[in-house]
Amino acid sequence: MGNLRDRYCIAGVGETEYSRHSGRSTRAMAVEAIKKAMADAGLRPDQVDGMMSYQSGDSTPANWVAPDLGIRLNFYMDVFGGGSSTEALIGLAMGAIEAGMCQTVAVFRSMNGYSDFRIGGTGARAAQPVRGLDLAQVPFGMRSAGQNFAPTFMRHMYEYGTTSEQVAHVRVAHSRHASQNPKAVLKERVTVADVVGSRWIVKPLHLLDCCLETDNATALIVTSAERARDLRRKPVYVMGVAGRVNKPRTDFHWAAGPITRVAGYHARDIVFGQAGIAPDDVQVTGSYDAFTFTTMLQLEEYGFCKKGEGGAYVSSGIIELGGRRPNNTSGGHLCEGYTHGMSMVIENVRQLRGTVDDSCPGAADGTHSYDYAPGKCRQVRDARIAMNLGWAMPPTGSALIMRN
Amino acid sequence: MPTVEYRGMNLVVPENDSEWREHFALARSHRLMLRACAACSLMRYPPSHGCPWCQSLDWTWREVSGRGTIYSYEIVAHAIQPGFKAWTPYAVVLVELDEQRGVPSEHEALRIVANLLTPEFAPEPEANVAIGKRVRVLFQDLAEDFALPQFTLSDEPAPGRVWRLPA
Repeated sequence: MGNLRDRYCIAGVGETEYSRHSGRSTRAMAVEAIKKAMADAGLRPDQVDGMMSYQSGDSTPANWVAPDLGIRLNFYMDVFGGGSSTEALIGLAMGAIEAGMCQTVAVFRSMNGYSDFRIGGTGARAAQPVRGLDLAQVPFGMRSAGQNFAPTFMRHMYEYGTTSEQVAHVRVAHSRHASQNPKAVLKERVTVADVVGSRWIVKPLHLLDCCLETDNATALIVTSAERARDLRRKPVYVMGVAGRVNKPRTDFHWAAGPITRVAGYHARDIVFGQAGIAPDDVQVTGSYDAFTFTTMLQLEEYGFCKKGEGGAYVSSGIIELGGRRPNNTSGGHLCEGYTHGMSMVIENVRQLRGTVDDSCPGAADGTHSYDYAPGKCRQVRDARIAMNLGWAMPPTGSALIMRN
Repeated sequence: MPTVEYRGMNLVVPENDSEWREHFALARSHRLMLRACAACSLMRYPPSHGCPWCQSLDWTWREVSGRGTIYSYEIVAHAIQPGFKAWTPYAVVLVELDEQRGVPSEHEALRIVANLLTPEFAPEPEANVAIGKRVRVLFQDLAEDFALPQFTLSDEPAPGRVWRLPA
């Protein structure tokens, strides 16, 4: 197959407020986020003819959203899933356009992840009947994301000597970034002591190792480089994409180890191969932070450090603003809000445009102070290539490399 | 059956469940039985239809010893399922069975998720839970034709390194 590098781009991005009390439907939020993304791109309703979303029975399908925006769809698809869908759907949108099915696709995720369908699995989700493959784990009180993932981190600690304090630095870094993000739900900076001193949720995970649950919609617009040329924004180009790559035995990934290995082991050659670059060429990462350790595991699996050295990498200062390769500069899912990955791609698009929405007076025009004190700048200087590492589960992940 | 209520959960195993129904019924006779490929003889867990290694669709149930080692674990301090709140803190263990370790390739094994319980079916105190400890299967009878395979510490010495999360 031909390489689509630089032939597709993200032309617009948009989101609603991140909150714990949206007070409105996922349909209302989706419409707002997509409308903002279209305005950002400078697209009229008749110029968007594709729409995709992902959900798990907790959202509104694309064909109910499009009419509110005056869009007549030539293609739409709502897929089942959560984290790691963002990158996969960007790739699928490129495929739909390449196949001639449509010309420009809006991708969205809308959820009341705190006030309605709790992402953490409490409430209605905890009471659902248990059947099929869920019988392998749920009867033993292993149902939430944290409960599903914790033994992976525990084994990493056993094999490599990784510590709670090391991964706490992920929370520390992301909280610093969030303090420079007016949109973030949690803007307060925290310390390593705060993280390891917070209450246990499921050992080895403390409360502050876990991400937020929030209400929000997020959207981005995928179109061809050719079509993007005349639009309002300088396009951000897709250099490579890998979608929902799996380890073997993804039905029960514990069967085929090493269990400390995650899907990035298999995804990295696909995505770096398409892009024709190496990890050292990347200036900004968005490694999915459902938990502190998921960021760490993916960074090491994609080769930003050696396998087993993720703990040292994330606690070295490299992943903080001002460091060599900042991660999740918006504050990510730990501090900004929980979006199943969309917000991390949106942030990287803005980083590559040079117009991150921090508090710098000239931010919208790309004028930044690069003062990374609380409440100040969060633009990375001269960011040219950014990468997203999407996480669904230890055995499933996606990846995206973009450039300006 | 087809629904077993346990800790506020409805465990649903309908007549047409061709993976789990027999598994839990066999556990009720206090035997841990895994599916073994009729062609290449390798066992697999959870119960499935095609052999992951040779793709044969023919299989039989084969009994295993129920002995193994804790490969990883977690301690749930904050239960999300209401029926588990009274049990906290409880251990979920990933047990590596003695049979077929490192077969057919180095990092593959028969691993099972369960709780680590005392012989009286109470959660094993956290201080006794560690990677590397030896365990044996314990059957928790929940219905006439349904038991959950659980695990309990055995008195065998650990063969290698024993490690638990620093307190």
